Amino acid sequence: MYNRIIRNDILKSKAITLTTVIFVAAAAMLVSLAAILVINLTGALDTLMEKAETPHFMQMHSGEIDRHRLTAFAEQNNNVEEYQVVEFLGMDGSQIILGDNSLTNSVQDNGFSIQSEKFDYLLDLNGDIINISDGEIYVPVAYMKDNTAELGDTAVISGKEFTIAGFLRDSTMNSSLSASKRFLVSSNDFVEIKDLGNIEYLIEFRLKDYSKIGEFETAYASAGLEANGPTVTYTLFKTMNAISDGLMIAVILLVSVLVIAIAFMSIRFTLLAKIEDDYREIGVMKAIGLRLSDIKKIYLAKYAVIAAAGSILGFILSLMFQGVLLENIRVYMGESENAPLAIGLGIIGILLVFLAIVAYVNLVLKRFRKISAAEAIRFGTSKEKKVGAKRFTLSSNRVFSTNIFLGIKDVLARKRLYGTMLLVLVISAFIIIVPQNLYNTISSKSFIQYMGIGSYDLRIQTSDHEKTDDIVQTIESDSDVSKYAVLTTKTFKVKTSNESGENMKVELGDHSAFPIEYSVGRAPVRDDEIALSAINADEMSKKVGDVITLINEGKEKELKVSGIYSDVTNGGKTAKAVFTDNSANVMWTIVCVELSDKSFVDSKVLGYSSEFDFAKTSDINEFVSQTLGSTINSVEIASYAAVAVALVITTLVTLLFMKMLVAKDRYSIAVMKAFGFTNSDIKVQYVSRSVFVLIVGIILGTLLANTVGEIFAGALISSFGASTFNFAVNPLSAYLVSPLMMISMVLIATVIGIARAGQIKISENIKE
Amino acid sequence: MNKIVIGDNIVKSFGEGIEQRNILDGVSVEINEDEFVSVMGPSGSGKSTLMFALSGMDGINSGKVVFDNKDLSAIGEKQLSDIRRSEMGFIFQQPTMLKNLNILDNIILPSIRDNRKNALKISEKARTLMEKVGISELEKRNITQVSGGQLQRAGICRALMNSPKIIFGDEPTGALNSQSAQEIMDILSEINTEGTAVMLVTHDAKVAARTERIMFMRDGKIVSELKLPKSVGVNIDSRIEKVTAKMLEIGI
Repeated sequence: MYNRIIRNDILKSKAITLTTVIFVAAAAMLVSLAAILVINLTGALDTLMEKAETPHFMQMHSGEIDRHRLTAFAEQNNNVEEYQVVEFLGMDGSQIILGDNSLTNSVQDNGFSIQSEKFDYLLDLNGDIINISDGEIYVPVAYMKDNTAELGDTAVISGKEFTIAGFLRDSTMNSSLSASKRFLVSSNDFVEIKDLGNIEYLIEFRLKDYSKIGEFETAYASAGLEANGPTVTYTLFKTMNAISDGLMIAVILLVSVLVIAIAFMSIRFTLLAKIEDDYREIGVMKAIGLRLSDIKKIYLAKYAVIAAAGSILGFILSLMFQGVLLENIRVYMGESENAPLAIGLGIIGILLVFLAIVAYVNLVLKRFRKISAAEAIRFGTSKEKKVGAKRFTLSSNRVFSTNIFLGIKDVLARKRLYGTMLLVLVISAFIIIVPQNLYNTISSKSFIQYMGIGSYDLRIQTSDHEKTDDIVQTIESDSDVSKYAVLTTKTFKVKTSNESGENMKVELGDHSAFPIEYSVGRAPVRDDEIALSAINADEMSKKVGDVITLINEGKEKELKVSGIYSDVTNGGKTAKAVFTDNSANVMWTIVCVELSDKSFVDSKVLGYSSEFDFAKTSDINEFVSQTLGSTINSVEIASYAAVAVALVITTLVTLLFMKMLVAKDRYSIAVMKAFGFTNSDIKVQYVSRSVFVLIVGIILGTLLANTVGEIFAGALISSFGASTFNFAVNPLSAYLVSPLMMISMVLIATVIGIARAGQIKISENIKE
Repeated sequence: MNKIVIGDNIVKSFGEGIEQRNILDGVSVEINEDEFVSVMGPSGSGKSTLMFALSGMDGINSGKVVFDNKDLSAIGEKQLSDIRRSEMGFIFQQPTMLKNLNILDNIILPSIRDNRKNALKISEKARTLMEKVGISELEKRNITQVSGGQLQRAGICRALMNSPKIIFGDEPTGALNSQSAQEIMDILSEINTEGTAVMLVTHDAKVAARTERIMFMRDGKIVSELKLPKSVGVNIDSRIEKVTAKMLEIGI
């Protein structure tokens, strides 16, 4: 009997059933995809890091190195299992030509290494340790992904020709967030090109007990060993490798939560409408002694079928789409050993979706208990209904036309019903606006303030301290330069509460020339002042006015925190001060230049690039877009995808609601037609309902997007180092184009959804 | 005497193929502009269908319906709506009112559609009518807060709002107790004497006996007719007897 009831019911409401199945399928697909991705990502990442034997602790260092001291430290420290120093031959991008493409414009620090001896191996795309021959070069996989290089191409490195023999996975520098990229060459070739670039050292350790990494870090820092460069631990390598796919998974999970919420609301809406339709029948069933559970089963069975169909469809879709989303993981990390497990977890995911829906339907059906058999049979409707907005009456209405009045009145009178639709539209407006604002913010010029960079036109960065004066002299005599500043970054040890030291990068120079935005306080002006990046201030628990102690040539130097600023560069951990110092090793120097005529920027960049081939000259806009380019790109794609998804949801939900409403309101429509209202009158009434709900939805959605959404986005950005965060809103797209798109879709969906209203026959619906 | 409605050889069928059935099987009917008529017949005889056909609410398969010299089968949905709104009034058995609106709003709804600027005047007219039928204190009530008889009076007010040329009533007293039913019939008689034609569909001999011409239907055809004096006076019982006798005679 259930089969027949379900079949008839589904056949009678094909469009509504189909829409519900689509929502369930979308939700199931996303949950299953998230599960599959998580398992594959963790599996592939573990495999990669195990095979490559990623270092537990890596100190990058530029400058002199005392290998004896390091070896002695490694031998003395009983937690060290293995130790090695890897040479990294940094070379300017202009010296590297892969096939037809030069890396001149690359902001990556490209460099060359030989295969490691003990651990931190560079792997080929099969996950095997590469054995390289003379004349061959292996290129970081990122350059394969962006089509810069192809297998078999000729690579020219400072005039020496190599054949690209393959692409490599580098468990320490794979990630786009890692600023350096390693190319692999043979030992003989390395010796040949060694003089053409600057050697940096990767001082690497594998530990016996990784859980004691904190102790080891402290031991390394307090031993006063080489530390002129960033320090990275195994956990950070893992995070950096996982972050881009991890972010994607997070987004998928977030969207799946929203889609599940929407699926639930659609189910609730259709179910409530159905119960209202069947009120009398339910009363009769109760009256003739059917048990509540029997009646429930009829409704539950239908939704179980819908949920099952949607879940299975969603699972199949997730299997079809997993390839696209897994591609990145496969290229950068390789196959996961847990792939079968992933399918299993995907199935568990869709089972959870299925069970959640069944449980939810069960919950909604609880109201059956409240239905009085006598009342249901006598009145055919629930009597508890309250009519809202009593004062909003037709007789006192002077503002709206009668049809618009009737539309708005209906919304106000049935708030709970329209509340469901409103919620969906609020969510839609939210997911249209937030990613758009986020994209707009990070791609706007003012976002540079979150990077800890002032507003200038071009920057020249060099690690060659001795040649900085050459640059300064040239700039000084260039009449096109209106202003310049030299900022030198050095590492100092900071005295912390437990008496051990921590290294901190401090940018020294005149910070008033190109001021940045300070979230609290101001730039350092006096010798005893220092400004901290938000992340540094947070980690050291320092506020403006607090004092920190730097150790400089063995002497302690007390500095007062003058301000805190946002910085998303260099891992967000930086500081700025103005004192002069000739002791510590210079990590790099940046010459910031402002031109009197902005149109010279391109030609100046070209000119300085060839004049200072030892330094990296970049147009500041280019620098920002290359540093954040991939993030901006993904956010841009995500924002377009969000708009598309939200519009599809808006359209489908409006269509569904309007069809349901027309089915529910057959009687009222017939009454109005009997009393002389035309089909176009009815259309205007329904359009007014949806547009009214939509306008409220857009207003609420926009408010939420600019408050809660801004907080969400701010939390995301602050994890990269920005402290204060305000959306840069493009009013045209956020307040005009987006609402217009939503309104158009809602109008189209409403008109299609209410097409049936025209066919409603008066006689069939009010005849006694 | 002018005819307000003329139905000529109306055929209306439902179903398709071998299941097709004529609900109205060549019905011809004429109603004068100040006449008070009723249609009687057993369930399924086609009396309500006839009313829907004559008022243009339902299309017909063949034949012709002329309302106030306009051929309803030749005009479009919009004009039909206009005619129903401005020249006809309707009263149904169940209170066909919109749940979201209060009593006053329900009454003024059809008239205010094209006449929003005159809302005050319209509301005033509604209040006058409500007073006339004795429900003036109910204007702000919700439709679930009043009795069936009160709702039906409100329905009559709504039907009268646009000063229609005819009022169609489909079992207007069917859901009421005898006291309320009698009061509704009193109101309808008064409206008729003021010059509005009234056509009622009923299976109640007491209701039919209040009208001046009764058409009896069976199987989609008008099988007989009974004429009574227009003025009811004190002879209601004898009129009822005549109606019942006629019903017995033709076997319905």
